[in-house]
Amino acid sequence: MKEGDSFVHTFTVTPATHAGFIDIFRDRNPLHTSAQFAQAKGFRGEVMHGNILNGFLSYFIGECLPTKDVIIHAQSIKFSLPVYMNDELEFTARIVGFFESVRTYEFKFSFRNKDGKTVAKGDIQIGLI
Amino acid sequence: MDFNNIIKQVNDIFIDVLDNEDIKLTPETTAADVEDWDSLNHIQLVVAIEKHFKMRFTTAEINGWKNVGEMCVAIENRLKG
Repeated sequence: MKEGDSFVHTFTVTPATHAGFIDIFRDRNPLHTSAQFAQAKGFRGEVMHGNILNGFLSYFIGECLPTKDVIIHAQSIKFSLPVYMNDELEFTARIVGFFESVRTYEFKFSFRNKDGKTVAKGDIQIGLI
Repeated sequence: MDFNNIIKQVNDIFIDVLDNEDIKLTPETTAADVEDWDSLNHIQLVVAIEKHFKMRFTTAEINGWKNVGEMCVAIENRLKG
């Protein structure tokens, strides 16, 4: 892996993902579980938990890189648009820094929906172990 | 940039990364003298320093530093080219 390398993956928030997240973390806020509530707040349906995207990030780092010898040091994410059930998200991550002295990479990433709009973006720093 | 200016900037980086306004580095300071300067924070400190001074070090170089002073001398030498 080297600075400038990019990685692309497609993720979909399926009903199983949504249900699994709720089952594990117990966040049943009506914004995420009631279409009626979400619509009353101006959304077109139940808004998926933003932290589901952090799960996708975990998958990307743990399973999609050329090496499994990695650990996440830090990450930040900003949510800019809602994600809805069955939304297909194109995830792109680019290596923006490599620090050989401490075997650390920095990525910038984004999730875009099918309209090409960025729904979330951020940074993640990983180390080689 | 002289040594005193470098150590002042490194001190500001330590304050930011370790979130500790009380840090006052001297050339003799080591990790044992600074609360929370552990192995994970060491990585964050090195990354922040390399980004701030726009330079990269090798593992061998940083492992050779015995204290903050040696780190700042290395930065000073690198800046001199």
